[in-house]
Amino acid sequence: MAEFPSEPFLEIAARLSGRQKNASRSGSRSYWHMLNLMQMSDNGALEALEIEAVERACPYEDVIPALAELKSMDISLFIASSLSNAAIECFLARNGLREYFSSVWSRDNAKGIKAVPLQSALDGACLEAPQAMFLTDTAEGLKVAESVGVNPILMMNDPDESRRLAMHNPAGGIVSLHELPDFIRVVRAKNLRPR
Amino acid sequence: MKQISIYRPNTVEEAIQILSQHGTEAGVYAGGTDLLVRLKNRLTQAPSYLVDIKTIDNLRYIKEDAQGNVQIGAATKLAEIAESDLLKKRYPMLVQAINMISSPELRNASTIGGDLLQEVWCQYLRGGYSCWRNGGYLCYGAIGDNSYYHSAMGGRLCYAVYPGDAAVALIPFDAYVKLATPAGAKELTVEQLVPGDLLVDGRIQSHVVRFNEILTEVILPPPKPNLRASFEKLRPRGVWDFAMASLALSLQVRDNTIENARAVFGGIAGRPLRERTVETFLNGKKLSVDLGDQAVSIALANAAPLKYNATKIDMAKGLLASGLAKLNANN
Repeated sequence: MAEFPSEPFLEIAARLSGRQKNASRSGSRSYWHMLNLMQMSDNGALEALEIEAVERACPYEDVIPALAELKSMDISLFIASSLSNAAIECFLARNGLREYFSSVWSRDNAKGIKAVPLQSALDGACLEAPQAMFLTDTAEGLKVAESVGVNPILMMNDPDESRRLAMHNPAGGIVSLHELPDFIRVVRAKNLRPR
Repeated sequence: MKQISIYRPNTVEEAIQILSQHGTEAGVYAGGTDLLVRLKNRLTQAPSYLVDIKTIDNLRYIKEDAQGNVQIGAATKLAEIAESDLLKKRYPMLVQAINMISSPELRNASTIGGDLLQEVWCQYLRGGYSCWRNGGYLCYGAIGDNSYYHSAMGGRLCYAVYPGDAAVALIPFDAYVKLATPAGAKELTVEQLVPGDLLVDGRIQSHVVRFNEILTEVILPPPKPNLRASFEKLRPRGVWDFAMASLALSLQVRDNTIENARAVFGGIAGRPLRERTVETFLNGKKLSVDLGDQAVSIALANAAPLKYNATKIDMAKGLLASGLAKLNANN
């Protein structure tokens, strides 16, 4: 939903691993790198850096119109994230996005990261995994979605990276969040198509 | 190729009945230069039941009515349009555009209706990729090689460009079409006919024609007085290729002042792109050698090229400059 800076996540990763930062300009990839390290560590006291990243994140311009349209279509939206609850709530509040989400599953209330918040979101909404879509722009995200059984939808932000990720056979892909309402309309229409 | 059945109805009404019976599994078959290729390409959306309208004998004509409109039956071959003395005299720009479609052999088979309603020619779709128009949920053109046949003006799930030339050339003449539907005939402007990627009967397509409707006629109103028009097309190969960019430009000129301008770009967007900003700018201006530069500076401000096709916008702007220069030279 937003362009996140990579530095705070890399800083967290460096602290967790005790090694020099592995420079990546991609906030998403840095984030997943950090999660991999978090899984191997008990160190959870890095929330301040997460909040710093969230405070510096710039939502894409198509986010609010797309969320508003989805809401008008009676689509339920959930956040499932490995961020802390404080970081997510800070992001939503700063950008006026809270009203669009039915519930938020963070690593705090889900008590885990990666697939755990996603599974909690499904359980909380009484949804079967194949009924849900999970938007992601990393290979790690695609794997997490597959591990839970939800439909991984590729956010094709960068064409070259997306071409590589398309090899992982995502269930679908969109270039911009403004396409998500149409995506859902197509899925719905294909199911109702006259034969 | 999948198993197909062919119906040969004798009337439009009978054809509509068959189309209605089979839903989206049926499709209209006329020239076949798009439909049969879609079948050979094994596209998911290609029909299994072909309704051959060539056997309907009142769909192939070029004639003038009492009001001076020229009516073209939807099953009229492109070659017949290119050779029509009436059209050459009344709408030379349209004939020029038709002559730039594909090759002489294909113009002998293709129909005007088929050209208007053809499927996009994205290499990923035609290559069998599981994209939005082929049963999938991803546009490979948006992330792959989009240098030739993909939109430089944004997209909506599918980023392929609308490939037809006839629609681009018909819009400046305010042409409209007749559709036969189960509820009776209806009329649409060509601009309304091909509004770009949209969901119709659960399918993404460039036009609004539903599964049980048939395009029956194209109607050209009498040309406006003092009209100058040009059509230009840039393509990877000199013949037999689709536009990387094209422009149909018409100017109604009196005393060297433009009274009514139409600028319609092809090959750069998911639909024939009428550039109203340029039209508004040109209206009321004196034709001059400087006009091209000024028009180019404001044209296509909403361009949103993909990674490899920004050059299409340069091409389109170049066509605008050369089109205006050509029509100015006609003074």
